[in-house]
Amino acid sequence: MIGLGALGLWAGRDLRFGSAAMMGPGFLPDVICGLLIAFGGYVLVKAFSKAYEPIGESNIKPLIILVIAIAGFAFMSETLGFVVSTIWLLVIGSLADQESRWREIAISTLLLTIFGAFVFIYGLGVQMPIWPF
Amino acid sequence: MAFLDVLMLGFAEAFTPTNLLFCFIGALLGTLIGVLPGIGPTATVAILLPVTFFLPPLAALIMLAGIFYGAQYGGSTTAILVNLPGEASAVVTAIDGYQMARKGRAGAALAIAALGSFFAGTVATIGLAVAGPTLSSFALSFGPAEYVSLCVFGLLAATILAHGSVIKAIGMVCLGLVLGMVGIDVNSGSTRLTFGSTELYDGIDFVVIAVGLFGVAEIASNLEFKEARGVLQSTIGRLWPTKQEFKESWAAVLRGTAVGTILGVLPGGGATLSAFSAYSVEKKISRTPEKFGHGAIAGVAGPESANNAGAQSSFIPLLTLGIPSNSIMAMMLGAMTIHGITPGPSVIQKQPELFWGLVASMWLGNAMLLIINLPLIGIWVRLLKVPYRILYPAILLFCCIGVYSVNNRGFDVALVILFGVLGYVLRKARCEAGPLLLGFVLGPLLETNLRRALLLSQGDPLVFVERPISAVLLLITAGMLLTLILPAIRKGRKEAFEASED
Repeated sequence: MIGLGALGLWAGRDLRFGSAAMMGPGFLPDVICGLLIAFGGYVLVKAFSKAYEPIGESNIKPLIILVIAIAGFAFMSETLGFVVSTIWLLVIGSLADQESRWREIAISTLLLTIFGAFVFIYGLGVQMPIWPF
Repeated sequence: MAFLDVLMLGFAEAFTPTNLLFCFIGALLGTLIGVLPGIGPTATVAILLPVTFFLPPLAALIMLAGIFYGAQYGGSTTAILVNLPGEASAVVTAIDGYQMARKGRAGAALAIAALGSFFAGTVATIGLAVAGPTLSSFALSFGPAEYVSLCVFGLLAATILAHGSVIKAIGMVCLGLVLGMVGIDVNSGSTRLTFGSTELYDGIDFVVIAVGLFGVAEIASNLEFKEARGVLQSTIGRLWPTKQEFKESWAAVLRGTAVGTILGVLPGGGATLSAFSAYSVEKKISRTPEKFGHGAIAGVAGPESANNAGAQSSFIPLLTLGIPSNSIMAMMLGAMTIHGITPGPSVIQKQPELFWGLVASMWLGNAMLLIINLPLIGIWVRLLKVPYRILYPAILLFCCIGVYSVNNRGFDVALVILFGVLGYVLRKARCEAGPLLLGFVLGPLLETNLRRALLLSQGDPLVFVERPISAVLLLITAGMLLTLILPAIRKGRKEAFEASED
């Protein structure tokens, strides 16, 4: 069924959410968080009572690369503008695939940046500076 | 003749050049996405959601709906030709469809799938047109107590019908509810769960969660391993099915349509469940069950009709009650809210052009799909050869700009990372993200009505049992929970899903 490790993570996160919620006002958050803790605990107990089963192979490299790419976009978009952040997003993001080739990345980045600038910034009026200056 | 009048109104709305154009764009994009393996309709709707903010409300809804049923169509093409279902609902189509393709009957399989889907779409749309006004006038009598019960019923039913562990699905719903509470509390004005961050005062944007959980997480898990692709059957063969094939499939189309229309209305139902159920129905009814899995045309016709019918009829609870039945409908609800429309029974009364325009456009969209799919099949086949490594950066860009454009700030994009990672971990832990999204969308509705109901009854919780409709809904919910606890039925459910996954 499920990997023990993944389950532990899942339940653990629920618990954190639960205890943080108690500071908030209102009736429902407390109830729901209580439920979350209960279910999280139940799943955790069930996971311990079962034999360890592996989650299967995982490869988190692409995920990490994607996170770096998107984080860069998030922090640069407001200050450095569309062109810089998009090129960063596309070039770094493309590295996530093992089979990526530099020539393809260059071409697709160029095309997508131009396309994106016209469609989103000029066409749809998204408010984002285009150039860093 | 009031019915014809409103239908005419709908067609008049749907036939305006703008709406017709966006219906076409939606259907085309949907097909495109559906054909490409590795990105499903949920992710597509999530990514394109922000783009539709720039459109007028009706055009936006028409386009999103078009993407949704277009993707159902497109998915079957890939399933038949490459044995790689573009989406979950096309998994069963791949079983017999691919076998037919290997026998050189791919054309017939595609044609039957398209014709069956068109028929099913038409019937389900009529169903929506007929059931919509009736249900909504009934729902207008709902008070806060009924809404609370309905929310609870919808959320629980969705978790029970979803794949995988029920406990985990309920956990996901709760997590979604908690996420929906982030921000300033409407009643007291105090902040909740913001961890002191001013950016979170307005709550977490719906688009952020949808793009993170479905867009980014999907890309990350697709990139994990090298692309696996089936062998493309390039010979499509004659498109038109033979008389014999017609004879074998028309009944299956009818049955599939019926199964799909009914199951689509259920919370948690929709296209995937409909397709699986239709396949098992066909297999049971068939006089030659041994032919299934070896290219039986009924095994293509039934599920294909069912998934399309299910896709259309899952709009019924959303448009009449304001309760989404699956994650795509939750996104439609999000889109409506952003456009200032409160989905629910009052939509048909107050904005008839919106409801009927959408209904009419669904039928038009289905007709368009027939044209997009059959004569142009060659283009789609060629598209299958585009490698993922060229596609996904574009998807990534759409995700980021889309999220940025909602509030014009980079903070939302940073939040997407959080939900992307969360979505990835949930995938690994085999928790479905769908219930989470449902919980998030329904959370505010549930909370407001719960407060209102208890306020009216002066804190007496018996109000939920005393009102008849509310009591019945709660009773059904309790019944469902009970069946889960009884081991015999639990085993049966497990078997049903295992059989459907084979």
